[in-house]
Amino acid sequence: MQVPVAKPTTVVDSRGTMCPGPITDLFRAFRNSSIGDVIELWATDPAAKPDVQTWAKRSGNEVLAIIDENGYTKIQVRIVKKGTAR
Amino acid sequence: MEVALEGKKPDSIIREERPLVDKNVTYIENSVDMIDLNQRVVFTADGKKLAYDYIILATGSVPDPDSIAGLRAASLNFHTSTEDSLKIWDALQQFRKGHIVLGIAGVPHKCPPSPNEGTFLLDDYLRKSGKRDDAKITFVTPYPRPYPAEAMSKVVEPLFQKRGIDVVTFFNLESVDPTKKELYSLEGDTLSYDLLIMVPPHRGADVIIKSGLGDKDGWIPTDKYTMNVKGYDNAYAIGDCTDIPVSKTGVTAHLEAKVAANNIISSIENLGQTHKYTGRINCPFEMGSGKAAFVVGSYEKPVKEIHPSRIRHVMKRGFERIYWRSLTGNLDWLLDTYFGATDIVENSKPTVVSSK
Repeated sequence: MQVPVAKPTTVVDSRGTMCPGPITDLFRAFRNSSIGDVIELWATDPAAKPDVQTWAKRSGNEVLAIIDENGYTKIQVRIVKKGTAR
Repeated sequence: MEVALEGKKPDSIIREERPLVDKNVTYIENSVDMIDLNQRVVFTADGKKLAYDYIILATGSVPDPDSIAGLRAASLNFHTSTEDSLKIWDALQQFRKGHIVLGIAGVPHKCPPSPNEGTFLLDDYLRKSGKRDDAKITFVTPYPRPYPAEAMSKVVEPLFQKRGIDVVTFFNLESVDPTKKELYSLEGDTLSYDLLIMVPPHRGADVIIKSGLGDKDGWIPTDKYTMNVKGYDNAYAIGDCTDIPVSKTGVTAHLEAKVAANNIISSIENLGQTHKYTGRINCPFEMGSGKAAFVVGSYEKPVKEIHPSRIRHVMKRGFERIYWRSLTGNLDWLLDTYFGATDIVENSKPTVVSSK
């Protein structure tokens, strides 16, 4: 089990929601985030972990930690890249 | 969607509200300006004050294209009004060749299958009108796959491939430049288009935001089982306006309404029963060529893989004919039979817990 590596800027509690609940909640937090923010997603849905990892890799953002808690998973993502493709 | 992509007449899908309401119900046609759950009072737009013992909030969701820069000016959509849907139908009549981008501009939005359905029906239209060879279709989505739930995405993905529909995933729309005809994502990608049809992100109703009853996006914190507004024994929320983790669809609103109504009856009659919504969803899903599937799941059971068939398309279109009668509650026996017979995931009947 990993330990949290950063203090989260935003905690998103998606426990009890099924796919696409957690990734939807993460996207809503991502939209409102700033560069350097750490979003911590709490999810019970097993799809959350691979979905977030794939999204982070694709978007250039950083998964800091994946922490297995009792009955749910905490996923910490640091926002290092957001928008402005032009 | 059928107005936009099949040329259906708007008159065929709109009814006056008053005749749909039971004669024993006092129907007041007025806008609500403010709701005070603590004082148990509703203030109407013309200054009237309505006191209540119980209240059910069903204020819906609001498509919000203005929340993304450039979206309203650049994009057509079939979620805001029948007039806007007609604009899509008109644009398709004018369309000769080019790149059509259809997709999800932001989440959440009502009717999760609708962006995929729209893409299938667009492909159908272009094939029937002989324009498909001169058109490129791209489906764009913030999700990791064409349909958000993986089981149904396994159904959609090969059908998109077979029809030559490109898919761009992980594209959270940041802004649109209507002049350059370009989309920009929060992930840093750019996509060009000739014709753009995007489902806008939705938010809660203005009256909920103004009354301070919602979260920052205007969704009402709601108990996902009892449908109570959290913190209020005599207030309920149903349909799109809630923050519960189910699809924003008519079917869920209908099932939630029965739970809320039964809990009010239980309270008035002192029956000691608590009715609970199971989270059952049952979204009809058009997949083109006269075939449809359903998205079926609940809180406890994830969405299952269901493939399109002609009979499911007939069921969907058939339900449109009886929809208006179903609103009166007189066809609940038929709907209950349907939900029981199609319940591949669990018993869909709302659970009842008795404390007596």
